[in-house]
Amino acid sequence: MNCIRYLLLSICLVLVLSACSSDAPDGVIRMGLTTAPTNLDPRFATDAVSSRINRLIYRRLVEFDATGMPVPSIASWTQVTPTHYRFTLQDQGRSYHHKKQLFAEDVKATFDSILDPATGSPHRSTVEVIQRIATQGNSQVDFYLKHPDSLFPGYLSIGILPADLIMQGHPFSTKPVGSGPFSFHSWPQEGVLRLTRIRDNRQFEFLPVPDPSVRILKLLRGEIDMLQNDLPPELLSYLAGKTGVSIQQRPGNNFSYLGFNLQDRFTSQPDIRRAIAHGIDREAIIRHFLKDGAKPAQALLPPHHWAGAKGLKPYRFDQQLARELLQQAGFSRQSPLRLVYKTSTDPFRVRLATLIQSQLSQIGIEMEVNSHDWGTFYSDVKAGRFQLYSLAWVGVKTPDIFRYVFHSASVPPGGANRGRYSSKVVDSIIDQAESSADFTHKALHYQQLQKQLLADLPYIPLWYEDHIFVSRDTITGYNLAADGNYDGLAQVQLNNQ
Amino acid sequence: MRHKLFASILLLWLLVSVFGPLLPLTPDQIDLPNILAGPGIEHLLGNDELGRPVLDRLIMGAQTSFLVAIWVVAISAVCGTMLGAFAAYSGGIMDLLLVRIIDVFLAFPGILLAIALAGVMGPGIDNVIIALSIVGWVGYARLARAQVLSLKHRDHISAAIALGQGRIPIVRKHLLPLIAAPLIIEATFGVAGIVIAEAGLSFLGLGVQPPAASWGSMIRDGARYMLVAPHLVLAPGACIMLVVLSINLLGDNLRDRLDVRIG
Repeated sequence: MNCIRYLLLSICLVLVLSACSSDAPDGVIRMGLTTAPTNLDPRFATDAVSSRINRLIYRRLVEFDATGMPVPSIASWTQVTPTHYRFTLQDQGRSYHHKKQLFAEDVKATFDSILDPATGSPHRSTVEVIQRIATQGNSQVDFYLKHPDSLFPGYLSIGILPADLIMQGHPFSTKPVGSGPFSFHSWPQEGVLRLTRIRDNRQFEFLPVPDPSVRILKLLRGEIDMLQNDLPPELLSYLAGKTGVSIQQRPGNNFSYLGFNLQDRFTSQPDIRRAIAHGIDREAIIRHFLKDGAKPAQALLPPHHWAGAKGLKPYRFDQQLARELLQQAGFSRQSPLRLVYKTSTDPFRVRLATLIQSQLSQIGIEMEVNSHDWGTFYSDVKAGRFQLYSLAWVGVKTPDIFRYVFHSASVPPGGANRGRYSSKVVDSIIDQAESSADFTHKALHYQQLQKQLLADLPYIPLWYEDHIFVSRDTITGYNLAADGNYDGLAQVQLNNQ
Repeated sequence: MRHKLFASILLLWLLVSVFGPLLPLTPDQIDLPNILAGPGIEHLLGNDELGRPVLDRLIMGAQTSFLVAIWVVAISAVCGTMLGAFAAYSGGIMDLLLVRIIDVFLAFPGILLAIALAGVMGPGIDNVIIALSIVGWVGYARLARAQVLSLKHRDHISAAIALGQGRIPIVRKHLLPLIAAPLIIEATFGVAGIVIAEAGLSFLGLGVQPPAASWGSMIRDGARYMLVAPHLVLAPGACIMLVVLSINLLGDNLRDRLDVRIG
């Protein structure tokens, strides 16, 4: 009887261990993601992962260079009049995955679909400036605008869908068809997406692994070949000591900030905002907390952006000055300022909030940290139910973000001015910058605007987080992008099979 | 010998919870250069992900667990027993109503309901106590009701009714003392359950708010660093295990002692 038991136990053990085997040499390159993509239709995708994967499946009219300037992707353009842009499709990258050619009619159909209120595209407001679209033959598209907007080409970085499938109501969100370097293979199970690289038929699998420790263990065991971002800095140090793993790191553009409610009776006072800015030791946070994995920020756009401001003077860490400013605002150790800092339950954000809470306690601010689930937190932030909060702007490319975030007419739901910031000076600079046709003048206006914002402090700029890419040594040829996209997968190679 | 060991663990938990705040501890003192430092002479259990001493936070976490457990068990036991005993004694529509309410509560997983309640009310230790109490009274009510139903037709109750005693004195003087033993045992196991539930809610971010410490939140915060600093999870994990194990084993022992069939 005991022999049978041991035999059964051994069989179970063998089965379990074989199920745990690593290193599946099937030629598939696997990438670990924090979350699964949610929507593979570029008209609807808004989350970072979906947008990055959509870039692999679809091609766009316009790309951005390192300074954020729009450059041709599959189309070049000329400005015929201030309200008329002519885009000419180039010969490369015009084959759809369903064996049809990408024509001007597809471009028109894509943007007409986004502009159609019945579609319900969240990107409609981005291209709302388009009055009508006309095609000239197979390769020429004319965009007529409602009013002049020299940033317009930058708004056309949305993937182009085939017109025939749009007409048929094809479910692009789950069965995408584009003309990009990757075609859709399958979505065999919840979250696990498979794409095929067209040039060599190599398959890529994207697996959601939310926990960073598990993601790293899977990488070390060979269950995934690479991962990008969302790693605690301490785990990066751990990985650096491992053999068979290589790490790439480069400065990024994702802007972390501390937001204020400008209608709150405390945080609406400039002295209090300045005191908080002087009370946060960003250098220490970047050095110890982020392990030098970020660069200090003074404005929403990084200095190397064409509209970025160089030489902005940071708020230096000065606890004495911060205490004096609080005193001017009527607070002291006996009657301390009490604030509530809202954040999500994301461990990194909670940790950051606790650190800022501790630093501000040293200047006499008693801060209560309230962490809420993402839905509650985000709805509170949009509704203005906060005094302070921290978030990050991800993937910002064009300076029209300033109207969206800081113009007094952009209070949610009409925009993202969540702090209810209202400044006639800033509104006027935004208007001037937008009406300026010349990019040099436009850049000057935006630089002046960022200087004004740093003085007013509706946000305290914190830092731009670096991008990190970790792969097994069998992976070569990946170029880490400044905006953290996955375009490098088009060149990546799997060696040593 | 074994029981002495478990009793000592519980005594230590009690002492640390009560006298912990009097000790010169710095559980919230952030020390950035010492982030994730391992155990050493200066800090016996090392430092956490913000450089705070793990031992100091463990002691403050013990207090959180203790307070939540005591409050929740007290509120749940008092409310549940009262409701169950009076409903059973009164009978009729009141009893039927209570049974239906208990059925509704039992049909829903308790911890899930507590998570939902804590989520609706917002994070915070006071809301955790309320949420766990709302879920916790049901067990006591059911037990008290069952016990009273079996006792209410006894002769001494009939005698008390014949002597003109009111409903409240009868329940208080003649029924509660007789049903106390099973309720105490239920409360003992309840403490263990609440320690785990509080840790679970804090693990989900619905319990204590930063910088306060609880064992559950320490595990949540430390779980991300299991590969580089396992002591962040092992220390509070071991505390929860020891406390819950001790309560359960001593509860078992207490049940055996109070059980007339075994005695």
